[in-house]
Amino acid sequence: MGVLLRNLQNVVPLRRARLRKDVETLRHILGIQKFDLGLICVDNARIQRINNVYRKKNVPTDVLSFPFYEDLRPGKLPCSMHRDDFNLGDIFLGVEYIMQQCQQTDQDFNGTLTVVTAHGICHLLGYRHDTAEEWNEMLRKESYILSEFNRLTGSHLEPLTKKCTRDV
Amino acid sequence: MFKSLTRAINIAARLTNKTATASSTRALEPLVTSALCPPNSASSRPFTRSIWMMCNNGASSGYRPSLLTPKGVLPSVSCGCGGLHTEGDKAFAEFLSDEIKEEKKIQKSKTLPKMSGGWELELNGTEAKLIRSISGDRVTVTFNINNSIPPNMEEEPEQGQKSAENEPEIVSTPNFVVEVIKQSAKHALVFDCHFPEDEIAHGEGEEESDIFAIREVSFQPEGDAEWKETSYTLNTDSLDWALYDHLMDFLADRGVDNTFADELIELSTALEHQEYIKFLEELSGFIKCN
Repeated sequence: MGVLLRNLQNVVPLRRARLRKDVETLRHILGIQKFDLGLICVDNARIQRINNVYRKKNVPTDVLSFPFYEDLRPGKLPCSMHRDDFNLGDIFLGVEYIMQQCQQTDQDFNGTLTVVTAHGICHLLGYRHDTAEEWNEMLRKESYILSEFNRLTGSHLEPLTKKCTRDV
Repeated sequence: MFKSLTRAINIAARLTNKTATASSTRALEPLVTSALCPPNSASSRPFTRSIWMMCNNGASSGYRPSLLTPKGVLPSVSCGCGGLHTEGDKAFAEFLSDEIKEEKKIQKSKTLPKMSGGWELELNGTEAKLIRSISGDRVTVTFNINNSIPPNMEEEPEQGQKSAENEPEIVSTPNFVVEVIKQSAKHALVFDCHFPEDEIAHGEGEEESDIFAIREVSFQPEGDAEWKETSYTLNTDSLDWALYDHLMDFLADRGVDNTFADELIELSTALEHQEYIKFLEELSGFIKCN
C-alpha cells in the first residue's frame, strides 16, 4: 500500500523524497492511506502523446488522471473488499510543462507539483469540472486539502481549479 | 541482408550466456539452427558422412589407398604458417571483410560520445570506468559492455518488409556499479544499478519503469579490493519506498540521474559497437593468419 513513484524523464531534476513526502501528506489529509496510487513523472513529448491518445488533444499538459474506479461519486471512497481493489489509479504529471509554467509565473516548482498532484487525486476520487456545479464542488475539495496541507507544513498553496480555465 | 542476419546471430550467440525469454528464443531459432548447427542440417550430412567413409580403414570398408589421405578431402591453401587453411576459411574471411565494411558504414563516430558533467573515462578492454569528484566525494561508475544487449522483444517484421531502415537498433544497457567514496569514510558506498527491461523494450505501450533502478546497496572496501560477501547488502525489492527515493536523490546529487543514465546508454552502445568491429577484425586476422 503506498505511492508508486516513477520518473520517466530527464528534462527536470526531480526530488523524489520531497515529492513522496508531500503526496503522503495529501493522502493522510484525504484518509486514503490504504489505497495505492501511481505517480508517473513525464516530459512534454510523452504527456502530449498520452493526451492525444486518451483526450484527442495533441498538446502537452500538466496532469492526466486515470481513475481505477471510473464512476465514483465525488467524495465517496470505494468500498473495496479485495486487496487488489485498494487502488485509486494513476496520475501522470507533466513535470516539464509544470516547470515551464512555474518559470513563466515565477512560482515554486515543488509547491506547484503538490497543487497539481492534489488536483489529480481529486479526479481519482471522482471529482470533475465539466459543469459549474462540479467546478465549485472540486474547488471546495481542493481548497480544503490545501488549507490542511498549509496548516501542517507551513506552506501557502492555492488550488489549481481556481487558476485554470474551464477546458482543463 | 547479411548484416541483419549476422547481427541477429551475433545477438543470438550472445544470448546463450543470458536467460532469454521464450518468445525471443523462438524468434531467433531458425537463424540459429541454420547458421550455427551445420552438422545437424540435412544439407551437410552427406558431406560429413563421406569424410567418415573415406577415412574409415576398418575391415568392412576394405583398403583403398588413393582415398585415405586427408589431403584429398579438405581443400587447403598453404600460407607457410603451418596451420590449416580451407576453402571455408577463405569464404569466411571474405564474409568478415564485407561485414566489417558494413559495420564501419553504420558506425556513428569513431570517437566515443562524451559524458556531460565532467566525468573522466578510463577503458580497460570491455570495461569502462567513469570517474568524477564533487566537493570531496569521489564517484566511480563501472560497467562492462559484454552481455549488455537485451533480447529484442519486438516481433520479426513481415517477410519482404525487412530492410536496413526497419532493422531494430542495437542498444547496450549494461548493469552498472556506482561507488561513492567520502574522504572521511573507511568504506565506499556501492550501488548496484540496472536498466529495467520494460523501459528499454521498443513496445508502443506506456512503459512505467524508471529509466534506471538501484538493485542493491552495500558498503565495500575501496577501489579494486575483493568484494566482501560478508558486508550487509540492502536489496531494494522489499525496501521502504521512501528510503529508496532518498537513495535515488543521493545519487542524483552526485551526478547519477536520468540524464546520466541516458548518456551512459549512448556511451555503452558506441563502445560495444567499437569492440564488436575490433573483434571482427581480430577474427578476420586469425582466420587469415595475418
